[in-house]
Amino acid sequence: MKGYKKYYSRKILWYLLTLIIAVILNFTLPRLMPGNPVANIAAQTAQGMTDATAIQKVYAQYAEAFGVDKPLYQQFFIWLKNLLHGDLGVSFSQYPRPVSEIIASGVWWTVCLQLPAIIVGWFLGNLLGAVAAYIRKGFDKVILPAFLFASNIPAFGMATILLTVFAIQLKWAPTSGGYGFDLIPNFSAAFILSVLDHYKLPFLSIVLVTIGGQAVGMRSMAIYELNADYVKYSRFLGIKDKKIVGYVFRNAMLPQITGLAMSIGTMVGGALVAEIIFSYPGIGSTLLSAITGRDYPLISACTLIITIMVLLANLFVEMIYGLIDPRIKAAQME
Amino acid sequence: MGKKMLEVNNLKTKYVTRFHEDVYAVDDVSLSIEEGKSLGIAGESGCGKSTLALSLMGYYFAPLHYISGDIIVDGKNISGMKPDEVRKTILGNEIAYIPQAAMNALNPTQKIISFLGDVLQAHDIKLSKKDLLDMAAERFEALGLPKEVLQKHAVELSGGMKQRTVIAVSTILNPKVLIADEPSSALDVTSQKMVIKMMRELMEKGYIKSMIFITHELPLLYNVTDDIMVMYAGQIVERGSAKEMVFDPMHPYAKGLMESIIVPEAGTRDVKLKAIPGTPPNLKKPPEGCRFAERCRYAKPACYLIAPQMRDIGGGRMHRCMMGEERMKEVYSHE
Amino acid sequence: MKNTIKQLRHSSQFMVGFVILVAILLLIIIYPIFVTADPLEMVGRGTFFKPGTYVSVVDAVTDGASTQKSYTLNLDTSASRLNARLSMEDREAMVDWLVRFGGVAEGGISTSDDDVPALLELWSEKYDSTNPQKGLIAAKKKYYVRLDKSLKELNNSTDMILAAQGEDGLEQTGTIADDSYVNVKDIANQRTFILGTDNFGRDVLTELVAATKTSIIIGLIAGVVATAIGLFLGLFAGFIGGVVDDFIMFVTNLFTVIPSFVILILISYSVGASARGVTMVAVIIGLTSWPWTTRSVRSQVISLRNRDHVNMSKLSGHSVIRIILVDILPYVASYVVMAFILQISSGILAEAQLSMLGLGPATTTTATLGLMMNWAMTYTAHLNGSWWAYFPVILTIALISFSLNLMNTGLDQVFNPTLRD
Repeated sequence: MKGYKKYYSRKILWYLLTLIIAVILNFTLPRLMPGNPVANIAAQTAQGMTDATAIQKVYAQYAEAFGVDKPLYQQFFIWLKNLLHGDLGVSFSQYPRPVSEIIASGVWWTVCLQLPAIIVGWFLGNLLGAVAAYIRKGFDKVILPAFLFASNIPAFGMATILLTVFAIQLKWAPTSGGYGFDLIPNFSAAFILSVLDHYKLPFLSIVLVTIGGQAVGMRSMAIYELNADYVKYSRFLGIKDKKIVGYVFRNAMLPQITGLAMSIGTMVGGALVAEIIFSYPGIGSTLLSAITGRDYPLISACTLIITIMVLLANLFVEMIYGLIDPRIKAAQME
Repeated sequence: MGKKMLEVNNLKTKYVTRFHEDVYAVDDVSLSIEEGKSLGIAGESGCGKSTLALSLMGYYFAPLHYISGDIIVDGKNISGMKPDEVRKTILGNEIAYIPQAAMNALNPTQKIISFLGDVLQAHDIKLSKKDLLDMAAERFEALGLPKEVLQKHAVELSGGMKQRTVIAVSTILNPKVLIADEPSSALDVTSQKMVIKMMRELMEKGYIKSMIFITHELPLLYNVTDDIMVMYAGQIVERGSAKEMVFDPMHPYAKGLMESIIVPEAGTRDVKLKAIPGTPPNLKKPPEGCRFAERCRYAKPACYLIAPQMRDIGGGRMHRCMMGEERMKEVYSHE
Repeated sequence: MKNTIKQLRHSSQFMVGFVILVAILLLIIIYPIFVTADPLEMVGRGTFFKPGTYVSVVDAVTDGASTQKSYTLNLDTSASRLNARLSMEDREAMVDWLVRFGGVAEGGISTSDDDVPALLELWSEKYDSTNPQKGLIAAKKKYYVRLDKSLKELNNSTDMILAAQGEDGLEQTGTIADDSYVNVKDIANQRTFILGTDNFGRDVLTELVAATKTSIIIGLIAGVVATAIGLFLGLFAGFIGGVVDDFIMFVTNLFTVIPSFVILILISYSVGASARGVTMVAVIIGLTSWPWTTRSVRSQVISLRNRDHVNMSKLSGHSVIRIILVDILPYVASYVVMAFILQISSGILAEAQLSMLGLGPATTTTATLGLMMNWAMTYTAHLNGSWWAYFPVILTIALISFSLNLMNTGLDQVFNPTLRD
């Protein structure tokens, strides 16, 4: 138990530290660049915006709230203080909505879409990869290249193809949005059905892309494990092949979990872009509209929330990993 | 004469490489071992020792393939049996195996006790959790292993402890023959001693009835086994009692092997160590004549053409050399 | 080295990947030799022309009117013309009318191309504008009258008269017979768009070839930058060890967990649209994707660090740089090559994703795969069925990435024999 405690406290501390550094990066990176966006906000927002007085008002408000004219380190602490209070400023492009409100409305769409999709895709991919490794001949020759190809279709590409085929040609699903445009979000049956109807394709596209990559990884992991010494030894002790395959899959699964932790950031990035294809009301679409609207406070908030989501997911995966892999326990005991 | 525990006649196996080439690593091997006896098999790396160990089990899977020959375990010929029958009735309970790389032989993510449960279950032995634990703990303690080991994962054990655990697991079903492939080679001296002691105890306590011990360390065999066989290029080249083999080897290869041993005795520093020149032949295309001829100091033209047969010279002594015993004595005395 | 190449040639995965990649590379090299037009020239006035050959209407008519350039073919022109001009909705409306008011049994006639002559015959026999048509609104009745009139005109296969503005008004200059044909090869002005045009009226195929080239260059630059940083940090961390290693690994771990996508967005946005050229984007991508290379190089170096030949070198008093170059680098080279290949494909993908967010190279002179995708999406090609504007782009990205990954798998099998069958 002592080993676990040490492992967990170290992990949590490490992730806290990472979060702090990510927050600092989120603040400083844009400000260190030659075209400092905060200083140029007024110039940038003046373009393409009609209501110039409103923009001036936003900017003045922003400059005051975030102390733009103060030195950088003071700005940082003002920004941090506001951040801790959940105050991320006011959106430029959707004035006068506060950024935190826009983020809050988008984040759940993204979490509810991506979390189940990545988990389902990961699980199915590993299952198929394991089967491919076990069956090998023939099956392996057809399925592996198919998976390999599928895993190389970018998430947005998969989304576009699914959209064209199932939503436009076959009309099995709506083409865009998170729910029917004539509905107001509530807990009515009509709304929930509409949400599920809009959920199908984005979900499927993320699942399919995830399956491909995971299956390929799992297959080579499982083949590697099938050649391990313990497999040979177990066989010579008369243990049935079925049981040995069970050992192998469990052991091959463990590195796949670490793999998930390491690639979750990339996956989320791809899935966010896929959201855009479906105009899904999540963070991905918010980010796109923020970028097109040159809405700096909103962009900064989007990147921050993505980082936090990815860090949390990573921490979660590592926690689970520590629980199920005895090697972690052993390493901590030493 | 004790009861024959294992008899092998003219066993031939091959393994197939990735490029679909056949390697005849065990070629026409015959041996037998009686109850209560132990047999050592020695040879250089790549001579087919490990392949022989695997072939003796009668359970083949790629890349190893059976060609011909009989394996008779306690009077029962197992070479014609179905693989699943061999698995269930022979592996583990008649013939047990200790692998070369015991470091990785245990599933890293499973508790030892759970693995033992799987071993018993594979042979249709059903025990309650408590009975299993009691039985295993008793056996482990009898072999000098703490019973706490049972509740641990392989990764939590030290190297020596892992090897001893593997030995205890392999012999849990009291097999008639134990085949140990370099069980102590990768260990430090202390652990090595404990492993050897454990192997002796297994015989003394009757947990195993006979043992085949494979190693490249000849001095070890002299201390552990009753008889020694020397293997070269997939074939047995000589067999005799441990004492005879070490002090009076007959086959030039066996002789060379014995001479290359470093024995820490007074005066050994001055004795020039002799290594056998050259490398073993390629087993994809073994030479037609004597397989050792290329490296043999005493080779005659005929040696390259005619493959010598095993010659039984009585008293359990056999060798595979064209030279007669008289000639050998004469030749060796000139050195 | 020779042996490695031989093994690679035996690896079917490597070879398939290699062949696909070479085919793509050949295409981007050879195509511009034959098609020298500016890939971003706005040829079409309008958006998303579908793939096909476009011929000048004036040329076709002029050729048709001249006796040298027109040909008479004994083919029935009316049927296919009818099929092409009589829309499915009109056919459905006709069937509907016939069933409701013409006394035709339901299912007695279909709307397929084969049934069009029969449908027309039934129609001319049964349709009567004086029929009371109970239940039809006036507008619908008028629609049927118009439909009937246009059908009669369609059926009427008379010669087409050409007229030109003369002194006394229109003067007949010639006729074109109904069975008169022209050869497409004779028409002076024509242009084939194999993949149609995009939202700006640009030839998609030419643009795609240019974009593929730019994207591969972006992948290469990003790969070189990422591999150089990764290799340097990995060698340094692995060989020196100690505090240096701890620090480099801390930073590396940090950047593996913080999504590189986010940093990419922040930097790309901050440098501003004017500074964001192709090279800049490529370098930014490279700057955010080194952690993987660092990790794998470092673990290799650590396993090499205490090998005999390295220790020998250390004892012989060789300098650190020499040891790294001579005794370590050759052994990690295979991993570096593999990491580099993966970096290229992830660089191309990163550019595409960045461009789709509107943060790609801001340039009007070159196209990239990501920009093409971005334009197609902005102009909703995916919603109006203009598949040629985006599907070839997706396919190209997938094929490049697929071929690179296949090659990587092949290399992996050769360098890590445990993965072999």
